[in-house]
Amino acid sequence: MMDAHQLIVCRCEEVSLAELLETAEAYQCSARELKLRTRAGMGCCGGRTCRMLVDQVIEQATGHSPSHTIPLGYQPPVRPISFQTLGGRNR
Amino acid sequence: MIDALIIGAGPAGLSAAIACAKQGLSVRIVDEFYRAGGRLLGQLHQEPNGTWWNGMEEAARLDREARAAGVEIACGVSVFNVVPSSSGWIASTTEGEIETSLLLIATGASETAVPVPGWTLPGVMSIGAAQVMTNVQRVRVGERGVIIGVNILSVAIARELQLAGIQIDRMILPPVSTVTGKAGFPEAVMRSLLRVAHLAPSPLIRWGSQLMKSSWMQRLGVSLYPSQGFSMWDIPIQLRTAALEIVGTNQVEGVRIARVAPDGQPIPGSEQIIPADFVCIAGGLSPLAELAAIAGCPFAYVPSLGGHVPIHNDRMQTPLPGLFVAGNITGVESAKVAMAQGIVAGLSMADAHGALADSAELENAIRQVGIVRQRATIQFHPDIDEGRATVGQLALASTGK
Ligand SMILES: Cc1cc2nc3c(=O)[nH]c(=O)nc-3n(C[C@H](O)[C@H](O)[C@H](O)COP(=O)(O)OP(=O)(O)OC[C@H]3O[C@@H](n4cnc5c(N)ncnc54)[C@H](O)[C@@H]3O)c2cc1C
Repeated sequence: MMDAHQLIVCRCEEVSLAELLETAEAYQCSARELKLRTRAGMGCCGGRTCRMLVDQVIEQATGHSPSHTIPLGYQPPVRPISFQTLGGRNR
Repeated sequence: MIDALIIGAGPAGLSAAIACAKQGLSVRIVDEFYRAGGRLLGQLHQEPNGTWWNGMEEAARLDREARAAGVEIACGVSVFNVVPSSSGWIASTTEGEIETSLLLIATGASETAVPVPGWTLPGVMSIGAAQVMTNVQRVRVGERGVIIGVNILSVAIARELQLAGIQIDRMILPPVSTVTGKAGFPEAVMRSLLRVAHLAPSPLIRWGSQLMKSSWMQRLGVSLYPSQGFSMWDIPIQLRTAALEIVGTNQVEGVRIARVAPDGQPIPGSEQIIPADFVCIAGGLSPLAELAAIAGCPFAYVPSLGGHVPIHNDRMQTPLPGLFVAGNITGVESAKVAMAQGIVAGLSMADAHGALADSAELENAIRQVGIVRQRATIQFHPDIDEGRATVGQLALASTGK
């Protein structure tokens, strides 16, 4: 059988499915709160891989189906960039 | 300051660029990949009428036409932010800021991850990555692989890998879990395959779709389903087998599989390990909406379009002044639909710029999107029309001004 503890969902921050499920159950929270509590989606890929999975965990734990508003907001920069680029000196 | 900036050089962005450059606008496209064409680059499949769809050639044609029309194309440039300005939009890119009066976001779709124990081992990749490595970069992904996730896209790409001489041992389902959604339920997978079955090259699936119109027949269908599965182009597709774990020490060595009941639960005692040196995970597609979201565009949640899509009207205008969208960011559909939408967006931008010579051209282009959609050979979801209608209504409601 599948061992939820071993299954990594957020690869950047190494957050397991078990950690996400337990946190979501305990706090009955929003996707954003789950992200802040576990750091899932806060790694260097900016949540590109696990964003949907975090939403699914919340859907299952709270029974709320997604609304028209995007559950986990996006913030710039949406790509990893260097400090140099961020400072406007990119050549 | 340019007239139109287009983010994404896929079929939608390139088609839009050609359409509005021909109306006299100054147009620039930026794309983060090193080559123009977007997802077209990896596409190679046979249409039901026997002709081949070669995306690489389509991409080259669009690229040529765009350059001939005076479009400036910059590859290897990522856009990481967009903000409105007094005269339009400013995009922050890895090559500096670009000011434009009109902005089109045509960033396409991204693949949905499906976590399976062991999926962090080297040798595990998304089905789209395997497609790009095989058809674009010509790199052999492995000798013998297993595809986890059965949907229209993974079946099409399995065939492409096979044409490149790579052995696909079998296609199976992911294990049932919170994060695998419906992809782990044989019944749901069978139903979704049957709904697009008129496109399938396999007579077995086509025959099955006639038979299984009602849900009890579908349930019966999955339980009577041959335990060895069926084959398409000699690739075994096993809807009653799931991957429990991808195994290996330093890289993929195999997959632990089990037979599953119609509800996706593994049947005790049926476990075995099959050897493989690569694994592709196929979880479906969803619109890549990040830039539209930071631009402040309102969204609609429409599962048949792949999830959250920016609200837009049939002219591909969002409720934000000067902001347009086209292609898979508005809903996951085939490349031909993306091209037709791109033409609409291009003409619509020309119109917004006061440069559209003949407004009948725009009306025709809008009609053309519907026609192309009806004829599409690859359909990602059976209820696309309803999804499109929902977004149209929300767009009407949001432009009460
Ligand atoms: C893996 C995969 C396989 C597919 N296979 C098929 C198929 O066989 N047949 C079919 O009809 N359809 C297929 N599709 C659907 C496909 O998305 C459409 O056919 C079509 O390519 C969509 O066109 P588009 O122009 O909207 O986006 P895309 O073709 O995806 O192009 C979007 C472009 O935007 C660029 N981009 C994204 N974000 C940024 C950014 N922030 N900065 C700069 N550039 C950016 C990307 O690099 C990309 O080149 C597939 C999709 C995927 C993901």
